[in-house]
Amino acid sequence: MNYLEFLSEHGVTLLFGTVTTVKVFVCSFFLFLIISMIFGLMRLSKNAAIQGIATVYIEFFRGTSLLVQLFWAYYVLPFFGVSLEAFSAGVLALGLNFGAYGAEVVRAGILAVPQGQWEAAHALNFTPAKRMSRIIIPQIFPIILPPISNLTVELLKATALVALVTVVDLTFEARQINSITWLSAQSFGTALLIYYIMARFALVPFLRWLEVVAARKVGLGDH
Amino acid sequence: MTRFFKVATVLLASVFTVSSVQAETLTERLANGDKLRLGFGTAVPWAYAGDNGEALGFVNAIALTVLEEMGIEEHETKVFEWSGLIPGINANRSDMITGGMYILKSRCENINFSDPIGVFGDAMLVPKGNPKNINNYQDVIDTGAKLVTGTGFNTVEAAKKYGVPDSQMLLVEGEVGILAAMKAGRADVAVQTFFGAKEHEAKTGGQFEVTDPKLMPKETLNVVGIGFRKSDEEFRQAFNAALAKVMASPDTMLERAGKYGYDRAQLPPPSMTTEWACATK
Amino acid sequence: MEIGFRWDFAYEIFPALIRATGNTILAAGIGYLIAVFVGLVFLLGQKTSSRILNMITREIVEFIRSTPLLIQLFFVYFVLPQFGITLSAWVCGMLTIGLHFGTYLCEVYRGALEAVPKAQWEACRALNFSNAYAYRRIILPQAFPIAIPGMGNYLVGIFKDTPLLSTIGVAELFHAATAVGGYNYRYLEPYTMVGVIFLTLSIPAAMWVRRLEKRVNKAQGKTTR
Repeated sequence: MNYLEFLSEHGVTLLFGTVTTVKVFVCSFFLFLIISMIFGLMRLSKNAAIQGIATVYIEFFRGTSLLVQLFWAYYVLPFFGVSLEAFSAGVLALGLNFGAYGAEVVRAGILAVPQGQWEAAHALNFTPAKRMSRIIIPQIFPIILPPISNLTVELLKATALVALVTVVDLTFEARQINSITWLSAQSFGTALLIYYIMARFALVPFLRWLEVVAARKVGLGDH
Repeated sequence: MTRFFKVATVLLASVFTVSSVQAETLTERLANGDKLRLGFGTAVPWAYAGDNGEALGFVNAIALTVLEEMGIEEHETKVFEWSGLIPGINANRSDMITGGMYILKSRCENINFSDPIGVFGDAMLVPKGNPKNINNYQDVIDTGAKLVTGTGFNTVEAAKKYGVPDSQMLLVEGEVGILAAMKAGRADVAVQTFFGAKEHEAKTGGQFEVTDPKLMPKETLNVVGIGFRKSDEEFRQAFNAALAKVMASPDTMLERAGKYGYDRAQLPPPSMTTEWACATK
Repeated sequence: MEIGFRWDFAYEIFPALIRATGNTILAAGIGYLIAVFVGLVFLLGQKTSSRILNMITREIVEFIRSTPLLIQLFFVYFVLPQFGITLSAWVCGMLTIGLHFGTYLCEVYRGALEAVPKAQWEACRALNFSNAYAYRRIILPQAFPIAIPGMGNYLVGIFKDTPLLSTIGVAELFHAATAVGGYNYRYLEPYTMVGVIFLTLSIPAAMWVRRLEKRVNKAQGKTTR
């Protein structure tokens, strides 16, 4: 059968899988952002215990493979009383893993805010909490957005792994079609195309737009 | 900014709370309205998923016929990597294993099986004409051939038992991996269930052929059962009762399973019970 | 089925896992070498005199970089044999990892080259150095130390992506854990031990890369707070 016939017969299945991929991506993206902020700040805490916890977390999740974490969350965690659905286990593993990388980016971003800002906040008698939330954090966005954008594209690609723990996403459907029809080039090729289109023509432009907005808000863009 | 975080947290909280899986027995969960979850791998014609996730394959057909007899119409399907089926059911990822699992002693230690739903044999898949004349495990050892099979398959245990050295074994993921390895010439011979081998012969239009299962060691004749968690004993008894009824007048079952190649020859003889298999296989 | 961590089982499977770790390190190493080379090819492919070749290379790099390694692995493993190219799972895995990470390393190289001060290029032109000579004696020796931390990070990254090779049957550590877990129907011990082994190997490696990075930054005159 030629490619158009393949698409008409299996295209819908692949699209349904894509919807699940997008759902997994959006949920893990939110978790990734939240964890990055929280642990990035924790890493900078003067409190040794808080900083220690953050460091252990970051080293652990950056030091082990995502696939191992994912399988662990799915097959092993239930024995510790935490039994999440496949979708949630996938989101959890993805969010925790990428959150560790994101935390380092946030930390570097906070440290990169010009020294003058910290001093001015101090001179104006801001409490540390207000200084962080009103002055420093809003300024980190133009700094952290490029590396966070890279991580976000990586996250989209990483969602493919959840197919290995029974989540019915695009990768899963492509494998299914391949195992029944053996049209490997068409099934995997189309999957590659769909991921490419999502990353290049939807995700990256969105992230670029975020960078422009962030730069403008901080006053670094064109006025 | 804070509004974004509030929204994100609420979204995530809903994802995670709605999804915890409880640890009651299967009968209780079904009474509460949860759906039964069938767990299987991708093994044509035993059990595989259709385009919309429907349970296809003869093991699924038989299981669904019995469930119908029990009055259970609704179900969900979950497709696992084969070696994840038993760890999966024990981690509460599925409720019934309908992959088409042979009842083996090592498996009985981890899960319980229903009464047998059929008797099956293994066979080898070789290139057309069987150039190396391999028909069983001893031939594999003698010719030094590369043997491929799936991780977690009964044939892994069997190959080890009959002395095939690790250096000659290639382990891949499931039926799909086996055929891919054979087609690419990464292995000289594959060992799998007779039905699986027949399916591969048909799918490749005779590029590969199935050896005679009678040339395999006699012990490779096995019975297949539906897998249950050890804690779901009540449900298993109910399932067995319904299975007995279906087997007593098997016409509907044979018609549905027959679509995939299952026929009367597969009906389990009364001597091969689950207890016998758990003790001797 | 026992719920607790069975130390006897863990002890029993430990040798098999350690043996497989050797395969993992080998796979990561070879894949990385291929990536280093492929990265150079992609870099040069974007700097040729032909605009069309540059564009095509750019598109290929973008495509490989924007799609999941897992699907690329499946593609190479399943599709090539259908066109008569049958490679062992190992070779498929190495090549795909090499291609995939080659695109990342290509960006690292580009970033490193761009970080070399413009003045160096101008000086080369003023002194009438040929392109080849300029690259060889002036530019590359300055770009190389800048590239090292990025290259080191991707070495660690490749190492952590080797478990994906298990999906096409490469007998590395994760595959061994799945095999032994499938054979014994217990995943708790094998997967926990895989995690521990990864930690023991990648944390020192990551620390070493970070030390390299600090040294390079110091040499470049950038200090961290």
